[in-house]
Amino acid sequence: MSAILDFPVKPEARPYLDAFRDTAGEPEWLARFRKQGLSRFAELGFPSRRSESWRYLDLQPLQKQPRLPAEPGTLAAVPPESRFDGASARVVLVDGSCNVTMSRPLPQGVWLGSMRRAINERPDLVRAAAASDSGAEHPFAALNAAFFADGFVLDIAAGIAIDEPIEVVHFAVTPGSSHTRSLVNLGAGSRATILETYAGTGRYWRNDFASWRLGEGASLTRIALVEEGPDAVHLGEVAATLGTKAKLNSFVLLLGGGTVRHEASVRMIGEGAECHLDGGFVVDRTEEANIVTNVDHQVPQGTTRELIKGVAAGRAHGAFQGKITVREHAQKVDAHQLSRNLILGGRAVIDTKPELEIYADDVKCAHGASVGELDEAALFYLRTRGIPDAEARHMLIEGFLREPVEEIADPALRDYLLRRLTRRLERLEE
Amino acid sequence: MLEIKNLHARLDDGREILKGVDLSVAEGEVHAIMGPNGSGKSTLAAVLAGRDGYEVTDGSVTYRGRDLFAMTADERAREGVFLAFQYPVEIPGVNNMYFLRAALNAQRRHRGEPELDAGQFLRVVRERLKLLDIADDLLQRAVNVGFSGGEKKRNEIFQMAVLEPRLAILDETDSGLDIDALRVVARGVNGLRAADRAIVMITHYKRLLDYVEPDRIHVLQDGHIVQSGDKNLAAELERSGYGTFAEAPEAAQPA
Repeated sequence: MSAILDFPVKPEARPYLDAFRDTAGEPEWLARFRKQGLSRFAELGFPSRRSESWRYLDLQPLQKQPRLPAEPGTLAAVPPESRFDGASARVVLVDGSCNVTMSRPLPQGVWLGSMRRAINERPDLVRAAAASDSGAEHPFAALNAAFFADGFVLDIAAGIAIDEPIEVVHFAVTPGSSHTRSLVNLGAGSRATILETYAGTGRYWRNDFASWRLGEGASLTRIALVEEGPDAVHLGEVAATLGTKAKLNSFVLLLGGGTVRHEASVRMIGEGAECHLDGGFVVDRTEEANIVTNVDHQVPQGTTRELIKGVAAGRAHGAFQGKITVREHAQKVDAHQLSRNLILGGRAVIDTKPELEIYADDVKCAHGASVGELDEAALFYLRTRGIPDAEARHMLIEGFLREPVEEIADPALRDYLLRRLTRRLERLEE
Repeated sequence: MLEIKNLHARLDDGREILKGVDLSVAEGEVHAIMGPNGSGKSTLAAVLAGRDGYEVTDGSVTYRGRDLFAMTADERAREGVFLAFQYPVEIPGVNNMYFLRAALNAQRRHRGEPELDAGQFLRVVRERLKLLDIADDLLQRAVNVGFSGGEKKRNEIFQMAVLEPRLAILDETDSGLDIDALRVVARGVNGLRAADRAIVMITHYKRLLDYVEPDRIHVLQDGHIVQSGDKNLAAELERSGYGTFAEAPEAAQPA
């Protein structure tokens, strides 16, 4: 530990440094990776609200009351409401500890298993991802590197397609923090769909990091359904790279959790890659939810589409921050970003900050943002058909949020998410 | 069915629009209310349906023996009052079938009847579509979103057919329609005439009355009903214009 004490240590990082222990039996490269992460976190500490990409989230409570890494607890069974029927395989992570069950054998060329297993069986794959996602700029990715106990790894060989979704359930039962690190590696022309559900009970902090690599022409659909408990802190970070003509469909639906942030950073490194980052959030009471996206067009001919819808009620606070960068040589990029928001009541707050940073001169880029209230004319129209006021309001709110959900191609997944959305709105406190 | 007595109403900004309207509509009757722009026709419809932004300052409206103003807009609808909008509202993300089933089930709950599931509701819808000879192309779309003017009006009539109101108020349902769309709407209205239903058509033009023959015609002018008559009044208005009624007192005064 002495090596890291040479660095200036931020006081809020101290409890995490003290809690750090070497993991017995890990390869040397991994031990080094963890130490680097710990040092970096010690230097960076918690991001302040002056830090641009964290300015809309209040992390003070977490900073003042540390939630230290905990030993995983056990869960007899995933509650039925957090389960999707129709998955080809189910990965369950209880407090981050991973367990895989297959409904039917996956095709040849598909490797699906826990991160722990991958470290032993697929060290080159894990190591390569670790080298490019060291978390040097991201404090919680650095902390994750130091502490991650498990996660899942999906590696698909070139040309293999899995049509039925792979379901990943992250369930938290133990107070403290769990740090999960996952990896999705898609070979050229391969295809997969992943549904990740996040839920749990109690005062936990989930710090989830995922690395996705899409080879040439590969296609990944990933849906994140965040339904954390009311006292939970959820910080999710995705780092994706898209090769030539690769296609990423990402959809995040933030429906629960005291403090929730989902960040996706996508690097477009192959020409003609396409990236859809859609999502929605619903917050009420004193909840906070942030959707953050960063897309970096490093090469020509890329496409980005973002549609994010937010609803805030009570004294809740929601925010969207999206940045699209188009580098100097990345000509013919077509990027479109739209953030639309609905505020219910006078005490809820929504911030939205779409941002384009363009250095190329032959591009098509647009962004838009709106924050409004429920449409009174539409409400009256529904009421003149006999629909009671409260029901009419719910219909309008749900109608507002449906648009990005309806972009999801798989009908079973789409219906599942719409049902979850309806359930969430039933307990909305305006 | 509907008794309007000395109804005065003003906008929130204080402008008085209705200045003592009297109107009585019995079950099974079709009435037309005609009048120039700004005479108060749409205000009358809005006040009857319960739209915010209007204040009733005097008079009363009794609907099937009950004080209409004691009911909220949605209660009125569940009690059988239907307003076909002059400008139907677009509601993105809300499917037409889903919306209409929620509306019908709200009424059924109100009457103590069991709610209809999706299958039962679909049968009701098919039957009404057939009855009125209306196409089913609008059903799976979001309410009024991207509809042409004619499609929006047709959708209003279709909703009326499914909800089976006791009192239907059609606010300029004929405006902006080409002749084919007007025929579809008229066929719908005629198909819904019934002994236990009253229909009040608010219109600027005589054209609709060529297709739907009213029992009574009223002329609304500057917030009053200035003349009432049978279906022949429309022809008279066509010849002489609304000016006959409004301008008459002023014309009598020498300049």
